[in-house]
Amino acid sequence: MKRNLLTFVIGGVLVVIFGLLLFSFQVRQTEVAVVTTFGKPTRNIDQPGFYWKLPWPIQKQVKFDQRIQTFEDKFTEDLTSDNNNLLTMVYVGWRISDAKLFFPKFAGGSVSAAERMLEGILRSAKSAVVGKHSLGDFVNADPNQLKFDAIENEIKAQVQAQLAANNCGLVVEFLGIKKLGLPDSVTQAVFERMTSERAVLVSKSQFEGEAEAQKIRSAAEREAARITSEAESQAIRIRGEGEAKAAELLPVFELNPGLANFDLRLKAIEQSLKEKSTLIFDQRTPPFDLFQGFATNRPSK
Amino acid sequence: MERNIQRYGIINLLMLLLAAAGGYAVARYAGSLAGQVASLFAGLGALVALISWFQMRLEESERLEKLELDELARAKGSATLFEAGKGETFPAQRARLQFEKYFVPAFTFLLLIAQAGGALLLWRWLAKADAAVNPTRWMITAAFFAVCFLMLFILGRFSATIARLEDHRLLRPGASYTLLSAFLCAIAALGVAGVSVDFPRADLQIARGLCVLLGVISLETLFTLIFEIYRPRVKGKIGRPLYDSRLVGMLGQPEGLITTAAEVLDYQFGFKVSDTWFYRFFERNLTVLLLVQIGVFLLSSCFVLVDSGEQALLERFGRPVQGQEILGPGLHLKSPWPISRVYRYRTEQIQTVTVGFADDDKDEHASPVILWAVGHGKEDNFLVANRDHSPVEAKAGDRKAPPVSLLTVNIPIQFQVTNLVAWAYNHRDSSNLLQQIASREVVRQLVSADLNEIMSHGRLEAGARLRDRIQAATDAHKLGARILFVGLQGIHPPVKVAPEYTKVVAETQKKKAKILAAQAEAISTNAFAGARAFTTVNTAEAERQRLEVTAVARAAAFTNQLPAFNAAPSVYLQRAYFQTFARATEGARMYVLLTTNTEDVIEFDLKDSVLRDYGSLTVPAPPRR
Repeated sequence: MKRNLLTFVIGGVLVVIFGLLLFSFQVRQTEVAVVTTFGKPTRNIDQPGFYWKLPWPIQKQVKFDQRIQTFEDKFTEDLTSDNNNLLTMVYVGWRISDAKLFFPKFAGGSVSAAERMLEGILRSAKSAVVGKHSLGDFVNADPNQLKFDAIENEIKAQVQAQLAANNCGLVVEFLGIKKLGLPDSVTQAVFERMTSERAVLVSKSQFEGEAEAQKIRSAAEREAARITSEAESQAIRIRGEGEAKAAELLPVFELNPGLANFDLRLKAIEQSLKEKSTLIFDQRTPPFDLFQGFATNRPSK
Repeated sequence: MERNIQRYGIINLLMLLLAAAGGYAVARYAGSLAGQVASLFAGLGALVALISWFQMRLEESERLEKLELDELARAKGSATLFEAGKGETFPAQRARLQFEKYFVPAFTFLLLIAQAGGALLLWRWLAKADAAVNPTRWMITAAFFAVCFLMLFILGRFSATIARLEDHRLLRPGASYTLLSAFLCAIAALGVAGVSVDFPRADLQIARGLCVLLGVISLETLFTLIFEIYRPRVKGKIGRPLYDSRLVGMLGQPEGLITTAAEVLDYQFGFKVSDTWFYRFFERNLTVLLLVQIGVFLLSSCFVLVDSGEQALLERFGRPVQGQEILGPGLHLKSPWPISRVYRYRTEQIQTVTVGFADDDKDEHASPVILWAVGHGKEDNFLVANRDHSPVEAKAGDRKAPPVSLLTVNIPIQFQVTNLVAWAYNHRDSSNLLQQIASREVVRQLVSADLNEIMSHGRLEAGARLRDRIQAATDAHKLGARILFVGLQGIHPPVKVAPEYTKVVAETQKKKAKILAAQAEAISTNAFAGARAFTTVNTAEAERQRLEVTAVARAAAFTNQLPAFNAAPSVYLQRAYFQTFARATEGARMYVLLTTNTEDVIEFDLKDSVLRDYGSLTVPAPPRR
């Protein structure tokens, strides 16, 4: 009896679980759902909660994420209005606005199918908008000349218009340019130009350095010459002053010019013989005149 | 009635082969992962069935041989026939023994490798595979697997019953695999059907589950091989075939779980474990224990333990619970699963998204030094406006370089979730959106940036500006995150042109060095010029002083000489002359010619004698040792 009761309880629990799985479903805060009856969408559920349904295969619920989903397209090449090849990648924030419309349009509500469609529309809109703008609208040293927001809005408006026309139950909430680039061949050209620019800077630095150094050296030499010449002129003036001062005492020597001149000659002799000198005198020079009459090393004839 | 079990063995083998080949083809056709994994099980079952069938044949040959020899022995009436050598007398028996001794363990080992290798390879394959059952082919696939289930189940049940009732141990492995394959076919069919209704990942999840099951079976095979070495052997008792998996048998015949467990324990320990009180209690109360387990599971789902650094979202029937939307760290009570569910997030954790290339951090051989000119990740070049050139009008079809430059960018953006409700409910993949927003703001900032400024002194300021912009965009998109840090350390010229940038820096340094050298030289030149000027002026000053002093002294001396001169003019003059002469010629070399012959020519050699001086030098003696 006890074993039968247990079996009954377990069986009951299993039946309840199985029944709940068949007859009910939950929709999360982040979800919307569509209930189909024999494959036809019959109920749209956009509020979270617990819901009843008839068992499969009569009714079937299909849930979708109602949050904003982000999708980025491929990095594609387009031509700008000034004939520059530009690669662009944009991201799009989209969400399902009407699950009942969305469900039949994309093979049972396939998000990847929706994104494939969105990618096609996006690519077309992007090419059209990029072609209307010059490269300077995308990349410009002057921030005021950039038209980023305008370009994004133009692409978004085109995509929204096409989605509205398709009436597929999804809306684009935002769109942004994620990446800009150049094709490989152009990238190589840019690299070469960047290299050349650097080479110019290298040369500039090399010769500017030498020129600057030369300028500094010549300025220093000029300054040195100025200092030296000023000093020499000053020295000449000083010497002149000294001589003038010395000349003031010359009248003293006028008291006996003969003695003064004799004294000057003596001083001149003394001054000139300061260095190592060789003097050759004969016996007539005083005081060697005292040798006159002495026997020489060679008898006179 | 003697049944021919070999026939059942071969039927099992053929059916398993058919299920394996057909199941694989159909699963491939429909893109069913679970179907492909299930067909592998059937394939392994076919192998096992083949070996067991072969072993059946050997045993049958041995039986016939024995009968023949018994017949002969009775006819001859002597047992000497068998005394020559057992091996020579019973070739079929010997073949069977050799088969069981060598071939069966070797095959079991190979089976283990196939199971373990298969589980591993399948797991890796499933990690990369897309769960994409073809929506138009699911019904054919499900129908095929359902038919397979039916046929394999009937055959498997029949074989298993015969094997159990008539104790055909060699029929059991094939029967077990046939039953297991039947159930797996049913599960694969359910998986495919699940994808078509509401569970897009059902097929993938089932495939993963089967993969785990294969791994568990391989473990069992491994343990069987190990335990076989230590198992106590009872003489005369026929052993269970090594390749006969108990786990497969149990899964094929769940009702025999208890029996299988008892058999395993009895077989392994060598005595009747199933007679113990514990085993009997377990057998009696299994249902209650299972109910208790379910109860414990439901009860445990009423408690939520949120770790520190985490927050959790609580939902009841999918709706956030009023007043309890966010659960902080600690223990919380909730309604049992599946009424209430929690979703955990690491909100305190500082998370990072990266714009541009990612560093080779995972590369163990990566250099610890990061240089511009050496690649350290997959380059991602961003456009920067070229300030050196004004935009030029390019001609149609002209591929000359546009007025832009390129920068390699690696910008980590660190953020923290501040509003979990916004983070979890507003966007499907908030982290990805943040990365997109950050990329946009980086692009926007760079397209009008000054390349040199952003790479040097303006880096910090640009980082702060960029952080503010990303934060503003994050707030505008209601992401519920706070941007903590934006690092511009990874901005530099592309590797291809980076050496040229390095050269510029080197040349700038050289330029500075040249200027500094010239400045040093200028300082030296001016200093020496100043010194020379000072010397010149001072020399002149000294000369002036000397002139003045000398003049005064001479005047004074002259004034003093005058009285003496006046007193004795000739003596004074002579005395002065001779005194001066003696003093002046003191150091001079003098030659006084006293010749009277004025006609002689006298030659003087006034050269200094150097040789004589050198000749007077003495060479010192060498030192003695």
